[in-house]
Amino acid sequence: MDNGPVMEEKDFDKLISKTVRGLLKKYDLKYDRETAIVTDDDLADRFFEAGLELAATTGVYCTDTHTQMLFSKDEILQALRWAPDQVTVGSGLDQCTIVTRRPEENVVPKIVGGGFGAPIPEEWFSAVMESYAREPVIDSIVGCNFFTTHGRTPKTRSPWEVLLAWREVELIKSAAQRAGRPGIGVGVVENAVSEIGELSGSSYGGFPQCDWHHTCFVSELKTNYGLLIKVAHLVKTGCIIHSFYNPILGGYAGGAEGVAVCAVAGIIMECVVNMATTFSICPTHPFYNCDTAPELIWAVSAAQQAVNRNTHLLTTVMTSPVSGPMTETLLYECAAMATTATVSGTARIDGVRSAVGVEILHVTGLEARFNGEIAHAATGLSRKDANEMIKEFEKRYVPVLDKKPIGKSFLEAYDPIKVQPTQEWLDIYGKVKTEVERIGLKMKY
Amino acid sequence: MDQFYEELLDCMMDGDDETAVNITRAQIGGGRDPMDIVQSCLIPILDDIGDKFSRLEIFLPDLIMAADVAKAVKDEIRTHLLSGADGAESEGKVVIGTVQGDVHDIGKNIVATLLEVNGFEVIDLGNDVAPYSFIETAKRENVDIIALSSLLTTSMPYMADVLKNLNGLGLRDKYRVIVGGGPVSAEWAKAIGADGYSNDANEAVELCRRIMAERKAG
Repeated sequence: MDNGPVMEEKDFDKLISKTVRGLLKKYDLKYDRETAIVTDDDLADRFFEAGLELAATTGVYCTDTHTQMLFSKDEILQALRWAPDQVTVGSGLDQCTIVTRRPEENVVPKIVGGGFGAPIPEEWFSAVMESYAREPVIDSIVGCNFFTTHGRTPKTRSPWEVLLAWREVELIKSAAQRAGRPGIGVGVVENAVSEIGELSGSSYGGFPQCDWHHTCFVSELKTNYGLLIKVAHLVKTGCIIHSFYNPILGGYAGGAEGVAVCAVAGIIMECVVNMATTFSICPTHPFYNCDTAPELIWAVSAAQQAVNRNTHLLTTVMTSPVSGPMTETLLYECAAMATTATVSGTARIDGVRSAVGVEILHVTGLEARFNGEIAHAATGLSRKDANEMIKEFEKRYVPVLDKKPIGKSFLEAYDPIKVQPTQEWLDIYGKVKTEVERIGLKMKY
Repeated sequence: MDQFYEELLDCMMDGDDETAVNITRAQIGGGRDPMDIVQSCLIPILDDIGDKFSRLEIFLPDLIMAADVAKAVKDEIRTHLLSGADGAESEGKVVIGTVQGDVHDIGKNIVATLLEVNGFEVIDLGNDVAPYSFIETAKRENVDIIALSSLLTTSMPYMADVLKNLNGLGLRDKYRVIVGGGPVSAEWAKAIGADGYSNDANEAVELCRRIMAERKAG
């Protein structure tokens, strides 16, 4: 962090771009538009080698010190070797254990439900969170962001962030309590954009060590003192660290194949630098802001298979669709991503950040239930069979990606007092489940 | 399409500013009107490159290379023109940045680069930029447009702070303020009193062009 080579940030961006392009040629990595997901083990392994080489070549850039944080290949492999292959989150009867998985494995992945940063006014925050905690298929929950708190519009990196963190503690714990799952593991502190919220929300009386605490890299392969302060704090307080990284399609990573290489390198370096236990990727489309565009579905499959075949890291994938509640397309986007991640060996399936997490109150527990049910159904499926199904799912939503069908809000999709989905939303869910089965994916529930 | 057009296009895609300047100089030396180079070659090529990016046939690093080459070619053309009031002049001056508390910057970088590709002079303040820094830069650099990006709802209030500060300092009429980013909407732009909102990078270019046309029209 302080001792690496000093360089301008723009030069690091260029280095990423140049190195990725070189590695794509060296390892013969090309996006294949004809397939929905990678089904070739050798290709997946070449993605891993390319990602490992990118990690060892560029390291991670610290924007505060303007230095490259470099590690040798041996140091990186050692960190991967000693990373946990299972972790228990939550407490008591509500705890769950996430275990490493391989592509096509029969072990069911663990399911996380939540809005992942979608903006929610505080008066509805607890009800929205309860809609996830009530779902039996969901093993762990994760918060949304407050659009308002204490009747005000909060600002990050200000005293408001402390209040946000404590409002999150209060309202998520009460939602879990009301759902009868007081010890359910929670992804926290979702409202801690900076280190201020994390340090406050995980201090005395706040979120405990057995919840999973967020940190991340900034695209592409960058960190800063704020994020590293979170890491230092979480390591010293014995908290489970969940790290995410979202490469941008069309950015310095380039196309789908470059996104996959960056994703592999990012997961590897999150293990080395952020000392994380669980690792999420959610590559982002530059125009639709989702991760369900066909190029990104393919990139996720490549990166997940690469890491899950060559390490025992606890990988996670988040579904981030353009569609919102009470649309059929939302559920087909979930079906495509949850199937992709499950057959690619992902240990934990996360979602759903409906309407790409930017529309106020446009998330509900029902799409997270569906996302989890798809993961259960796809467990043990071959990648070859999954490939054909995912192509069918994509046909049903790709035409609307640029139209952003945000659907309806939680208040229209649910009875917000009883925290139950409306019959209309249940009918849409039932209709899509029937169609998914007709396509060939046998639902278990 | 003339041979020079094809050669200039190749230079832009390869990031070869040296050859681009040399062939431009040779064209002008051979009697070609510098303004014809701008109108018949540079502008159509830049439009074509912008279209390619919107279809993701090329990526951000290609855009950056093209913008660097275009700037070198424009500088060369400018040296051959007697008057400053010409087509090679900047479309307008923009200060851009991601607002305080937010370190996401690739979307903002794409907007900045597309603006440069389309002839705007861009001052990029990076990410996590305090409201007052935008205003100081706008004053110092005499910009036309202040462009604010945010990917986080909890950073969006800092956009409102920029406008509040401009009003408080009596500078609101001097600059046009536009906003964008994942959770930002036209409704938000209206609510905070911004002059415009764009949904993506291509729209941002169109918005800046419209604003500059209005400013020039008085």
